[in-house]
Amino acid sequence: MLFPTLAFGVFFLFVYFTTWSLDRENGRRKLFLLLASWFFYAQWDWRFVGLLILSAVLNWGVAALIARRMERDGPEARRAWLVGLGVAVNLIILGFFKYYGFFVEQAGDLLARFGWERDLPLLQIVLPVGISFFTFQGISYVVDVHRGKTPPAKSLLDVMLLMSFFPHLVAGPIVRASDLLPQFERAPRLTREMATHGLLLICWGLFKKTVIASELSVNLVDPVFFDPSAHSAIDIAAAVYGYAVQIYCDFSAYSDMAIGIAALLGYSFPRNFDQPYRANSMQSFWRRWHISLSSWLRDYLYVPLGGGRKGLVSSCINVFITMVLGGLWHGAAWTFLAWGALHGGVQVVERLARAAFGDRKVLPTVLGVLITFHIVCLGWILFRAETFELAMAMLAGLGRVGPVTMLTPLLLTLIVGGLAMHWLPPRAIEGVAERLKTAPSITLGLLIGIAILLVEAVRPEGVAPFIYFQF
Amino acid sequence: MTDDRDKTGEGGVPLEPFPTHRPESPFPPLYESLPAQTPADPPSDWIQSADAHDLPTRENRLAALGRFAFPPAPPLDDEGVAARDMRWTSRTLVIATAFLLVFNAVSPLNWSHQQAPGWVSETVEKVSEAWVGQLALLGVDMPRQGLRDAWFAAKDARFVGQDPAPPRADTL
Repeated sequence: MLFPTLAFGVFFLFVYFTTWSLDRENGRRKLFLLLASWFFYAQWDWRFVGLLILSAVLNWGVAALIARRMERDGPEARRAWLVGLGVAVNLIILGFFKYYGFFVEQAGDLLARFGWERDLPLLQIVLPVGISFFTFQGISYVVDVHRGKTPPAKSLLDVMLLMSFFPHLVAGPIVRASDLLPQFERAPRLTREMATHGLLLICWGLFKKTVIASELSVNLVDPVFFDPSAHSAIDIAAAVYGYAVQIYCDFSAYSDMAIGIAALLGYSFPRNFDQPYRANSMQSFWRRWHISLSSWLRDYLYVPLGGGRKGLVSSCINVFITMVLGGLWHGAAWTFLAWGALHGGVQVVERLARAAFGDRKVLPTVLGVLITFHIVCLGWILFRAETFELAMAMLAGLGRVGPVTMLTPLLLTLIVGGLAMHWLPPRAIEGVAERLKTAPSITLGLLIGIAILLVEAVRPEGVAPFIYFQF
Repeated sequence: MTDDRDKTGEGGVPLEPFPTHRPESPFPPLYESLPAQTPADPPSDWIQSADAHDLPTRENRLAALGRFAFPPAPPLDDEGVAARDMRWTSRTLVIATAFLLVFNAVSPLNWSHQQAPGWVSETVEKVSEAWVGQLALLGVDMPRQGLRDAWFAAKDARFVGQDPAPPRADTL
């Protein structure tokens, strides 16, 4: 069940009205939201609802044990093995479903090179949707309880809802326990600000996903990446820029809609994107792109590795490892590792440059933005291409002269528009919501209806799944 | 603002649409003709700066009676504000849904076409067909169709020298 579909619209309206009718009884409200979330997840594969429950029970149990030990023996109690157990359980679940096939295949190739060919047990494992997101949430919950950053949840229900809550379940944002558990403890309140902001985010997300991302994907990016050798340099360049716009509009649309849907149910999610293509350095890019993942990587990977505490060389190594593993998080493929290595490598260069030149401005901002954007686009070629050969074919095609067959005026407008939206005022939607919150409900209802009608009138039939569903 | 002659009381020509001050009256002040026993207005320090619009007006009797019969509600507490905002949001959603059911009526029909055959999809299809047909008689499908035609025209546009777009089948 995808967000921009009629089925989800009907589901959401049912959940909205039922949830608010249970307003006075927070426990029942949460139970209903949990059942609705499981129903939502079961639309992909009902068998994986069991995995979701198992993961939540394990994380709740480990966190409860950690909390009990801290209570009994004081905050200095030795509980590292418990945290290790919690993290390991989550990583085993993630590793089995996501990386088993990849590592077995690589091991088979490696053994074959040494002339020791074996039939390794390859399994056809179906990847549960959103597994990377809910396992990362589980890890952050256990570690935060261990660090004393968040108290353990008061009930298993809260942990289950934290990990299964349908707005963020399949593609984030990665909402941490410290953000969501306190909200679950009391009955939420809906304000006009939240409602207006949520409705606008949903409309904006619908537009970005179903108009810009879908149109670019179907009519430009997919055909060019399928066979780069059949296209000229302009078409290939347009496809690369188009993919940069497509992936932003696709993923940020999901985040916007998730934040908007949660807001209409009375819950607040953190912002996940902040005009990433405005970044004038790779470090700045990662402070704007998929913020919930980059801050997760910082807190649970970069800092435990040592962060920047042990000097420049150590911090460069740590940031490189973090970005490579961040690339691997996106998928079990060498192209994702290369993508992570590219981002990590550029950040290392930036750190070295900062160490050499200090805070002096080496490049004008405009040049910094252009260079960063084109490095990001280079990374997107690796990210989008299934193989290195395909990525190399895309790069080679950038020098091919030929007729422009794929790029049309509309697609060019969508690419330019998708990039231009990064130069809107940074909090434009909040500003519009602030103005509209005082409007009568009939005015806002009609405006929302017109906005959705505009999107519905131009969208292609059917909607492709969000890109980040596969992660 | 008037010209110089006005300052001397000679009745100059006003330079602005309206004179900014009245000429001095040739008659004695009005209060001198009033009976001496008439009590003077109590001294006031606010009336000097008051505007005529600030003065209390006589209230409509029906409104006064209404306020007596239905006194205004006490100010809302937090829970009341939350309930009011929730009702406002619910009304907004209902209005948007109703709007889309009328002007985007073809959406459930398209959805039913994308489903596997079954009782639900066939029922939705039949009901939607009847609904879309009735609304088409009123012409409410025209805004959506107009937008769609404009969008497809934009999609079919090509740069100079490019092959024209292939013909497309009409879609709802």
